[in-house]
Amino acid sequence: MPTEQEIFEKVRTTLVDALNVDDDEVKLQSRLRGDLNAESIDFLDIVFRLEKQFGVKIPREELFPESIFQGDPNFVTDGKVNEGGLKELQERMPFADLSDFRKDPRLEKMEDLFTVELIVNYLKKKLGG
Amino acid sequence: MLLKDQVALVTGGSRGIGKAIVQALAREGAKVAFVYRGSQQAAEELEKEITAAGGTTKAWQADVSDPEAAKRVVGGVMADWGRVDILVNNAGVIRDGLFIRMDPENWKTVLNTNLDGTFYFCRAVAEQMALRQRSGRIINVSSVAADHVNAGQTNYAASKGAVNAFTRALAVELGSRSVTVNAVAPGFIETDMSEAVRNKAGDFIAKKLVPLRRLGKPEDIAGVVVFLAGPAGAYVTGQVITVDGGLSLGAVTA
Repeated sequence: MPTEQEIFEKVRTTLVDALNVDDDEVKLQSRLRGDLNAESIDFLDIVFRLEKQFGVKIPREELFPESIFQGDPNFVTDGKVNEGGLKELQERMPFADLSDFRKDPRLEKMEDLFTVELIVNYLKKKLGG
Repeated sequence: MLLKDQVALVTGGSRGIGKAIVQALAREGAKVAFVYRGSQQAAEELEKEITAAGGTTKAWQADVSDPEAAKRVVGGVMADWGRVDILVNNAGVIRDGLFIRMDPENWKTVLNTNLDGTFYFCRAVAEQMALRQRSGRIINVSSVAADHVNAGQTNYAASKGAVNAFTRALAVELGSRSVTVNAVAPGFIETDMSEAVRNKAGDFIAKKLVPLRRLGKPEDIAGVVVFLAGPAGAYVTGQVITVDGGLSLGAVTA
């Protein structure tokens, strides 16, 4: 099983290819949208490249469940992800650290969860670590 | 040769405009797979003609309105030649009739072939072009009827107008992966599809409505497709290029 550092380095290579960014821009805490300027199609591209790079199958919405809350009042109240939504999110993304998001759970902040570290943690779990 | 060793896929390729597109792409050095639905003999003759001229081609029988057909054909082209550089969605049908009497089946047939078929084939090549190759040219054959309509063509006009809108929307999505998406909108072209109208009014149209004073030939469309598929078309995307001898200018010659 690859070490965390090995996973990170392969993820970095993937992101450099997919997003056309420099090596040193990709840090563990980098947010894909906020810091690396990823657009919607880039998320598809990243998943596609990770599958090839790591030889795993990544089902749609498993790594980046971007649209799970679209218009669902059970999960979102007044533009904020409510308790039900947070519970759902933690179940969907057991590899994610939601502590910061809980402090400011505005729906539009959800994309900040999608960081390089999130991908590394996801792959660690996925590869059995 | 502008398209040496590129792989092209053309639907509705055995007759009319599609045939001229297949011939033109092959002449420019592309390997050309083409789809035909019913005209097996025409397809075989075209295969022979291109092979005899030193080109590479393969005919695929399929109905583009069948959701599974595109996957099967694109899978086959990938297995044969390993990539798809150029997709030309040319297959199209008409079922003209006045709207008050329009049979829903005729509406469906036209939309399923002209619009859904275009969607299925684009969908079948999009991941390959955008994510694997990061390059590609998609060219949809539309019609001036999308904007300049004749009576009896509500279904056809709707399908082509939708193809134009789809072309622009897809161009936006795939642009960051160097895939261009454009449409060519032919006017009156001398093909089997336009035969009935030409017999009725061909002379009048050519002499009175078309500034270039002739009906179009399939080769007139194929030339623009080659432009969009080749190096000169690299920076063109999301456009509907009208190729109609000036018909849509709306002038009546005096």
